[in-house]
Amino acid sequence: MPLSLINWRQVWVLYRRELRGALRERSIVVNSFLLPVFLYPVLLWLTFSAMVFVEGLSEGRVSRIVLLDLPAEHAELRDSLSAAQSVEVREDTVSVEQGVAWVLDGELDAVAEFLAPGPEAEALPDNFAVRISYDRAEERSRRASDRIESAVTGYRDRWLEREARDLRVSREQLEGFLIYRNNVATERQVGAFLLSLMVPLFVVIMVALGCFVPSIDTTAGERERSTWETLMSVSASRMSVVTSKYLYVATLGLAAGMLNVTAMVISIGAVLRPLAGELAEELQFRIPLLAVPVLLIGALALALFFAAAMMLLASFARKFKDGQAMITPVYWLALIPVFLSGTPELHLTPTLATVPIANVAVMMRDAINGRFDWLLIGESLLVQMVFVVLILWLARAVLRFEDYLLGSFDGSFWRFARQRLLARRSSDALPVE
Amino acid sequence: MTEPTVAVRGLAKTFYDEARGEVRAVDGIDFDCRPGEIFGLLGANGAGKTTTLRMLATILRPTAGVARLMGRDVVEEPVAARRTLGFYSATTALYPRLTARETLEFFARVNLYPEEKVDARVDYLVGRFGIAEYVGARVEKLSTGMKQKVSIARTVAHDPPILIFDEPTVGLDVINALEMARVIRELRDEGKTIIFSTHIMSEAEKLCDRIAIIHNGKILASDTLDALRVATGRHYLEDIFVDYVGGVEEMPGFIRESGSAAE
Ligand SMILES: Nc1ncnc2c1ncn2[C@@H]1O[C@H](COP(=O)(O)OP(=O)(O)O)[C@@H](O)[C@H]1O
Ligand SMILES: [Mg+2]
Repeated sequence: MPLSLINWRQVWVLYRRELRGALRERSIVVNSFLLPVFLYPVLLWLTFSAMVFVEGLSEGRVSRIVLLDLPAEHAELRDSLSAAQSVEVREDTVSVEQGVAWVLDGELDAVAEFLAPGPEAEALPDNFAVRISYDRAEERSRRASDRIESAVTGYRDRWLEREARDLRVSREQLEGFLIYRNNVATERQVGAFLLSLMVPLFVVIMVALGCFVPSIDTTAGERERSTWETLMSVSASRMSVVTSKYLYVATLGLAAGMLNVTAMVISIGAVLRPLAGELAEELQFRIPLLAVPVLLIGALALALFFAAAMMLLASFARKFKDGQAMITPVYWLALIPVFLSGTPELHLTPTLATVPIANVAVMMRDAINGRFDWLLIGESLLVQMVFVVLILWLARAVLRFEDYLLGSFDGSFWRFARQRLLARRSSDALPVE
Repeated sequence: MTEPTVAVRGLAKTFYDEARGEVRAVDGIDFDCRPGEIFGLLGANGAGKTTTLRMLATILRPTAGVARLMGRDVVEEPVAARRTLGFYSATTALYPRLTARETLEFFARVNLYPEEKVDARVDYLVGRFGIAEYVGARVEKLSTGMKQKVSIARTVAHDPPILIFDEPTVGLDVINALEMARVIRELRDEGKTIIFSTHIMSEAEKLCDRIAIIHNGKILASDTLDALRVATGRHYLEDIFVDYVGGVEEMPGFIRESGSAAE
């Protein structure tokens, strides 16, 4: 049993040596610690600037609205809205439900619905209330709502002046003219939606990036610096050495992932709120408490995966640069399913849960959106761990070859797999130590 | 006579090289080493010295034969065998990002030197090898001579009974090479078993208690310098070597002079 070959005291000594070296290596500190921490503030700032920019653009856009049940006495309101260049009043006669559906589809920007006034305004005949239905997640829709509101408010002032004069009562008595806003998307949904698009993608990228330099440094880098043979001659078993290296790389990957999530939570409060002003109230960036452990376990599963895969590939290189070249294509390949699963409509399904990396990404996104299907979460983690075990098993097979250990094998993992693992020249293999 | 601490019987290693086919790097060698002696492997480049020593260090697995360190079989008990051993060569570098002190602590601990004695051991090594001045400096900042001292200290960090030095003077200037020889002699006098390989005649002549002449993976002769003189009727090791090996012309990698650093 390989586990019995591991001396944990030596693993701890080796692990500390790896970490200590890493913390003194600039490229590792930058990739595994600084980048994950500072990515979100920079990114959020960019996003915010983009939002302000888009908002500026939407100002020039015509708002498509419908007015439902407008009392004939107030037809002037329709005329003043229609006269505005920025508003297009659709003549469709639809139900409120249909109108709201159109708003959500993007067919329409807002629905203004005229209602009977509340009891406090009954004194005034012909008084009314307006309910505006719009989608707060959509800039076009928020703008349409604002435009209706300001048109109605303007009209209300003029109308109240007139009525008060006619009825000889004070304006105060006539207050009670109401506007209800009806946001069809909930506030939390909007914030969580944005987070759920960003966080999983960046956690995957950051965990991979956190593993990237350490996995090369601890394999090819050790060969390049000629410390490999020194290490091979110490009285720790090969399994102890490899275990310590694996745990070290996985630690940095996990650290990068967790720092990234923490930085996101902090930077949203610190960077976005003061910048966003009024917008921040509408967008509540909060994730469900239950999503925190899911994110943690997800990052851990990713770290175990990337650490194993990257170390296996990079260990065939004799120079850091070659190691980089061996990992990079696989790194991008691994990110493809994550980008593809970025479609918001996609949720965790039993099939999707079998796709490594993408399953964890979607699992994290669902969790941020408050969807927890524990069975599918379990399946995703299980699949992810099966892949980890598969790679570790491969690593163990490879470790039995002397020329691999010594670094005299000339070629990549793929070449090795073709020539040795598949060729089954078993006489070449050593017993595992 | 004391029991041999290193026992080698019929040790062989065949590499499979894509260009050259089968290469019999070590071709069935026998030797014993004892505490308090320096056993020299003298041979030209490619003779099989490194391959032999790597098999003893369990970095390579023998194709045939057995080797025991302190009674531990290098194939059956590789981890235990390595624990009795300090391995030094031009290809065993130090970790650049560690300080000298961290380096010694690391090698003592990873070779399972008793934890409660590690601090005292490191203090002793720092004093003994004259490292005190730069013990807190990162290895990457040290000069060649300083690195060499730290390297020797890390080789003996766990106080192993057997020390292997594979061409330790390659690339060193005269002063550092002499310093290396002095330390090796000292370690021998403390009772360590030392295996020392070189391609430089004068080095072997001055340092080794017994010399094995290795050529094409075979040990052609193995004895004290005096006994080799008697056997060949020649005085200088260079002549003795040529006598056994049969002509310097056959050995392109062979370098006669010592000191004037090969590279
Ligand atoms: N990993 C290897 N693969 C193939 N051939 C090797 C390998 N290592 C050494 N050799 C060959 O084995 C022979 C002995 O090499 P080596 O033990 O390094 O000699 P020395 O240390 O005496 O110079 C040489 O011919 C060398 O080319
Ligand atoms: Mg050599």
